[in-house]
Amino acid sequence: MDKVEMICFEIISSVGTARSCYVEAIKEARNGDLSKADELITEGNEMLRKGHAVHASLVRDEAEGRKTDISLLLIHAEDQMMSAETLGIVSKELIELYRNK
Amino acid sequence: MVNILLCCSGGMSTSILVKKMKAAAIEKGIETEIWAIQMQDIDKHKEKADIILLGPQIRYALGEIQSEVSTKPVFVIDIMDYGTMNGEKVLNIALDKLGDAKN
Repeated sequence: MDKVEMICFEIISSVGTARSCYVEAIKEARNGDLSKADELITEGNEMLRKGHAVHASLVRDEAEGRKTDISLLLIHAEDQMMSAETLGIVSKELIELYRNK
Repeated sequence: MVNILLCCSGGMSTSILVKKMKAAAIEKGIETEIWAIQMQDIDKHKEKADIILLGPQIRYALGEIQSEVSTKPVFVIDIMDYGTMNGEKVLNIALDKLGDAKN
């Protein structure tokens, strides 16, 4: 596996976990465990941050003139990252709704 | 024959892990069938599987899937093993869990 592929899997694995945390957080909030929901949001944010950091290294490389070959796997990793980001925003809003119920 | 089913949200990244696990199984001389599907298709595949492995991106579905397959072992692939596509380690963990489930 080449370096970019490794980076893709690192992104997918981190942001995928983030996505899972956000979904679990909504479920916990629905079941009334808001502190568990908050914990999962924190864990999700940390995982998303990790994925972003790895992704940023590729963007930085490109800015410095070292281009990355675009593969479907890389697009998939970015797709996962974007959906995790969206889900993060939505899950936080939903949890606030449950909190203020 | 050991039937190992891998499941993630799209089935795409997991299929590369399948390739690595198959290579590890051949090296160990174990007869296996290992395949990857997307989560939506689990109903069609769960009967055949001896063990089900989930990608970290669908960790949230563990409870639901476990209740669908009752006693069959289901586990979430470790985020480090997934991130590094460590097929050999994931295969070993699956075989260990299967061994535990039989005893």
